[in-house]
Amino acid sequence: MQEEHLVIHLRDRPAALREAKKSGVKIIGYFPGNYVPEELIYASGAMPICLVDGGDPAPVDTSLSAMPNFFCQFARAQVGERLLKRNPYYDMLDMLVAPITCQHLKKVAEMWEYFGDIEIFKLGVPHQYYGDLELEYYTDRLKALKDRLQAFTGNEITSEKLSKAIDLYNKMRELLKKISLLRSETYLPLSALDFIKLNHASFYADPAFMVDVLDSTYSKLKEKTKVARADTPRLLLLGPNIAYGDYKVLELVQEAGGDIVIEELCEGVRYYWQSIENKDNPLKSLAKGYLKDRVPCAFMRYSAEKRLDFALKLIKDFNVSGVIWYELLGCETYDSESYFFARKMEERNIPMLILESDYGMADIGQVKTRIEAFVELVKGGIE
Amino acid sequence: MIGLLKLCGFEAHEIESELPRVEKVFSRLEITTEDIEIAKQRLTKYYDVELLGVRKALRLCVRELLKLVLAREEGKTKIIYAFMASSFVPIQSALASKSKQVHAAQPTELFQLILGCIFDKMVPVMEAAEGKWLRAGAIAHCANVKTIAEIIASDRVPKPDLLVTCGYLCETAPKTVELLHELYDVPSACFDTCYDREEMEHPVVTKRIIDLAAKNLRKTAERAQEVVGFEFTDDLLWDVLHARYRLADAIRKLHVLIEESDPIPISIGHETIWRCLGGIPFSIDDIPDAIDAMDTLGEELQERVNKGFGVVAKGAPRVLTFCPPDYTDPRPSHLATEVGIALLAKAFDLPVPDAGRPPDSGTKIKDPYEEIAFKRQCQFVSQNSQMRIASIIEGCKRLNVDGMLDRYHVGCRNIGDSMIIKEALTKELGIPVLMLEWEDFDPRVYNHEQYKRRLELFKTMLTSKR
Repeated sequence: MQEEHLVIHLRDRPAALREAKKSGVKIIGYFPGNYVPEELIYASGAMPICLVDGGDPAPVDTSLSAMPNFFCQFARAQVGERLLKRNPYYDMLDMLVAPITCQHLKKVAEMWEYFGDIEIFKLGVPHQYYGDLELEYYTDRLKALKDRLQAFTGNEITSEKLSKAIDLYNKMRELLKKISLLRSETYLPLSALDFIKLNHASFYADPAFMVDVLDSTYSKLKEKTKVARADTPRLLLLGPNIAYGDYKVLELVQEAGGDIVIEELCEGVRYYWQSIENKDNPLKSLAKGYLKDRVPCAFMRYSAEKRLDFALKLIKDFNVSGVIWYELLGCETYDSESYFFARKMEERNIPMLILESDYGMADIGQVKTRIEAFVELVKGGIE
Repeated sequence: MIGLLKLCGFEAHEIESELPRVEKVFSRLEITTEDIEIAKQRLTKYYDVELLGVRKALRLCVRELLKLVLAREEGKTKIIYAFMASSFVPIQSALASKSKQVHAAQPTELFQLILGCIFDKMVPVMEAAEGKWLRAGAIAHCANVKTIAEIIASDRVPKPDLLVTCGYLCETAPKTVELLHELYDVPSACFDTCYDREEMEHPVVTKRIIDLAAKNLRKTAERAQEVVGFEFTDDLLWDVLHARYRLADAIRKLHVLIEESDPIPISIGHETIWRCLGGIPFSIDDIPDAIDAMDTLGEELQERVNKGFGVVAKGAPRVLTFCPPDYTDPRPSHLATEVGIALLAKAFDLPVPDAGRPPDSGTKIKDPYEEIAFKRQCQFVSQNSQMRIASIIEGCKRLNVDGMLDRYHVGCRNIGDSMIIKEALTKELGIPVLMLEWEDFDPRVYNHEQYKRRLELFKTMLTSKR
């Protein structure tokens, strides 16, 4: 359940952004995956908006006029929203920062380039995230982004402004982490659906406002009556992407009597596990924090083992008894990794369910049955 | 067996000495007597084996397959494979030039030509890969990665000491190689750069992208040198590059000959043979044999042109294809020829307008790795959608084509530009574009009746548009 003032804020947010635009504030969109430092955009006086809408088959279908159906649903949704011109956030953008992550989002950036009429900055994200050469490259690209933002907004990004922006977003990450960690207890203060909706809200809401919301949410959740749910399977959700609106699997797990208590997702949710170091050279700190220090997505080189280690740590820390792997149709790297993860989980006797779906409802019966059966299986293991 | 080897350009005396090796390899690859008969039929039906140049090229490819499968037992101490990593091939050539103990190969290309196009035996490879992590269906895993995964995992080829891939075009090749490393202990390496060139930076190749690519490639070459236990110099790599450029030139001449002829003297399906040949990491001493094969073919084709001989009628509709016409199955391009369509060239080979300008204009490149990176970034596939469209439009005008066959490869997200290419071509040139969803490396997608009907209709459209 979202707090009422957050609901109202989100309802009024497009109008507020339009007003801000009139007074000269630039609205700068970017694609998710946590490789675009919002701090830079925010420090330029522009408003960052993460383009994270999904879950609706209409834009996915619309995208077929521009791209084939083997692209992932989320990527297609980003093209479809642009073509449909019905989503206020996508329609009001002055500029797009497109991180060059997987081939799907790379192609989306090229499609947006092809459609024209909006300034695009392509942010190179080296896939050998562990290398020094690559860190240097990414730092240089952040510098180029900084220069572009300054030219575009007409505002200088001073070290002080950037440092303040890092502080603000660090607060947001820290609060999300604190809220998330509450779920490691035997009682569950909020469902995965609520946590992810809160996380998604942080991409659209005013960041300072969002920090206040997260702060009050955390205080309330901490005080919530602690009732343990011993018979409910505690599950880890793994996968590439949960978009804003793609709640089918989360709802079905909840209905089936399972509790997703923690998630490890590449795109769609804000990465909150660590803060950005805020001293000396903020640009270098951003580069290190966004590229090197985080858990790498599957499109990164030699990432499976590292993400597996992280998943196993989550399983231990959050007392997880089963894993749900949810991937979107067409996501080939995560699909390859699902096999690797399934084997590794099997070696450790951790049940894992692999779900592949799209934004349509055609497979809902099948997905529901599989989730119900899996929850029962995990429950059996607990008993 | 002997008949097959003759069709593949082996001389009688050579057949006698090579027979035991061939038998051993065929047995390991489960090639039966029946398969050999099929191969003979396919060679005579789909390829102009009466041309000496074709036979010479086939012979070199078959010999490479034998060397590959038998590498360990024939005393090679180090085996280095490249997959989807054409930029690494000169480095492999340098390694093979320096030591005869090293075997270097791009195994998939050999398998696709010989096991696929000639023997029609790729389906079991596909099915076995799908039984592992590269499952079939709407996920659209590329059948090229299925090939490398399966032939290494199932020991159809020896386990390498290093398997090198590249992330320029996709994540699926590096991910497959990563999983081969994780699940089958295959030592691996990957080189990359960043494809973040912005629209305003085109068409000049961006220096930062080349620099990263060059440094990454050198790092991977150093890793390979550690694995083999010796080093090679930049001078040797330059020598290899120059020798390989001569081979590339000989191949390019074939393309130009086909593009400029009416009627075309050979089916473009033969491109699979010279693409495979051009991708073999020959040692510097072996490159002249490959050049000789291509030069021989060039002379024979020139003779056909001079005589007015063509594989389609003069004046047949001229068509550009998007992807290479065949990888593992010669039937699609053969059918196009039968229907009477002249497939002239593929978009992948088209020059990109102005892309040849080095970033530091006037400066000669001194670092061979930078040279490799630079050439790679100039290619069609390294461009964004906008530049690809510009390149195709210019290519269509230059080649005076009547239409385009946009048979796009479902396993490849990088080239998922088909719809907008079609839109742009229709708008700019008004020429028909036949779009077909295809899996380039999987012969199971071929449906003769359906494909034939579409090509016939397409031909009618092309002719009536004139």
